[in-house]
Amino acid sequence: MSAFEGYWDAVDAELAQLPPQPVRDLVPRRCTADFTGYEVRLTSLGPYRIFGYLSVPTGPGPYPAVLTTPRYGSVNNPPHYNDRLRYVTLVIAHRGQRTADSSYAAAYPGLLTDGIADPDRYVYRGIVADCLRAAEYLTALPEVDTSRVAVAGDDLAVLTAARRPLFAALQVAGAPLFRGADQPDADYPAAEFGDHLRAHPQDADAVRRTLALFDPERHAPAVTAAARVEIPGEGGPLSALAEALDAQRYAPTHHGQADNDAADAWLAGRLGAAAMSRFSRMAG
Amino acid sequence: MTQVNVYRPDDFDDFWDSTLKQVAKVPLRPSFEYVEERSTDDVAVYDVHYDSWAGVRISGWYAVPRAAGPHPALMLVPGYISEPVIPRSWAKKGYAAFAVAPRGKLRSNQPYNPGYPGLLVDNIVDPNTYGYRGFYVDAVRAVDAVLTRPEVDPARVGLHGSSQGGALTITTAALMPDVVTCGAAGAPYLCGFMESARLTHSYPYEEINEYLRDHPDHEQRVAQSVGYYDGINFAPNIEAPMLVYIGLEDDVCPPETGFAVHDAMKCEKELLTYERCGHDAGNHWAMEKVEAFLAGHLGVAQ
Repeated sequence: MSAFEGYWDAVDAELAQLPPQPVRDLVPRRCTADFTGYEVRLTSLGPYRIFGYLSVPTGPGPYPAVLTTPRYGSVNNPPHYNDRLRYVTLVIAHRGQRTADSSYAAAYPGLLTDGIADPDRYVYRGIVADCLRAAEYLTALPEVDTSRVAVAGDDLAVLTAARRPLFAALQVAGAPLFRGADQPDADYPAAEFGDHLRAHPQDADAVRRTLALFDPERHAPAVTAAARVEIPGEGGPLSALAEALDAQRYAPTHHGQADNDAADAWLAGRLGAAAMSRFSRMAG
Repeated sequence: MTQVNVYRPDDFDDFWDSTLKQVAKVPLRPSFEYVEERSTDDVAVYDVHYDSWAGVRISGWYAVPRAAGPHPALMLVPGYISEPVIPRSWAKKGYAAFAVAPRGKLRSNQPYNPGYPGLLVDNIVDPNTYGYRGFYVDAVRAVDAVLTRPEVDPARVGLHGSSQGGALTITTAALMPDVVTCGAAGAPYLCGFMESARLTHSYPYEEINEYLRDHPDHEQRVAQSVGYYDGINFAPNIEAPMLVYIGLEDDVCPPETGFAVHDAMKCEKELLTYERCGHDAGNHWAMEKVEAFLAGHLGVAQ
């Protein structure tokens, strides 16, 4: 077994030892005639309690479902209204983000390099586990049609799809988090890697070894979902990732709503739902 | 296109004059702590703290060229859910750049921490205790803090941000007409609160819809309260030149409200609109114009 496989098998084994102990609380203000909103809490690696916004459409179901992996930042919005109408939706907050910051509060900047010199102490080992736990939870819900589940996000979505082959669709957008160390002139958050290495130049090899474990391109062969990758510009790590995933490539037009609509339509098509634009003067 | 009508309280100006007079009694107590790990050969980075409304200690990141000043100040005001990023890239362009974290953001959340979602509706029925009262003041006090730096030219103060940052650009320019030199506001949020909540189901405005689900009888109280906080009501008080840029299909901050706030400005102004763009506000094309606008008004070579 390679070090790569051993590392991730150990994460799976540790997680399997921890019952998720889910708690699901109704949130009346996020309920309408069309959907019901909840806040959920689950146990992940550590053990550590993580948080999620769950929404379930009204009706007999089962429904297609979408797991949104956390963005890089302290806050994740609850699922969008349009998505709640069509899907069982779960947006989680990983350890350190608001609503999951007891007892660990992430620093921005700082999260991306927290413990990075030791892969067993790197904070993203736990964060990936948080996403895996969320995938297990969502796909076990009775309201979910397990043949129509998608995961959407950045690198974390790729790693989740790779480690849990439960998904029909994988949608990847955003800058590649774990390839930031390859971009010395990048702005934050990727600049965190450069800051760390300026302060701790002796860590260079260790950082490279840790990040290799999280490289989405290395995880891509294990992904079974149909994938779509947004690739701004030619070449670069996202292009290589798309190739490794055998993904549909999407070149953003930079007309943001047009790009959002294209992403929505792809996902809806994969999950057997109707496409919906978030910009509509029919809202009310 | 929908008309955006905003209630403007008769005592709007008095409310904010009184607010600024009250906070002026709070000593600023600015501290600028050099951060070696985040600094580079050409940019020095400081971890900043100062006191603001109700004595809450506010944080921010200050990045300044190592080259001798004076430098123009560029205030970078944050979006709703984002944390301020260390503005090293702006400092490299020649600005004394300050990215503020108003109350409730991560390093400014003691003792005030309404959460996200949460801030938009925190005490929203009461203008005197609404969370945004201190939040708007925090952006004003950030300007006061940066002007304590000897390398900053007080005659050149710019504001820039998008979404909530666009809103704070507008409110700060209006509250400091004698100080602010120019402002560039993308996709301005906090303009036409009630109409926005009717036009979209996207967050953050969806927080108002959720609040009204819980409190359906509060709609009029909310509308009256947010009148004190609406960017459209601040806009006529701005004297500095302003650049506003919006996406014509913005689901987060409806374009109708961007037109309305631009219409309400009496200052020198320009509006950039982008077809098929959403909350990105045409960022891909607009940023070149924003940089030229700021550089032109603040005297930075491009």
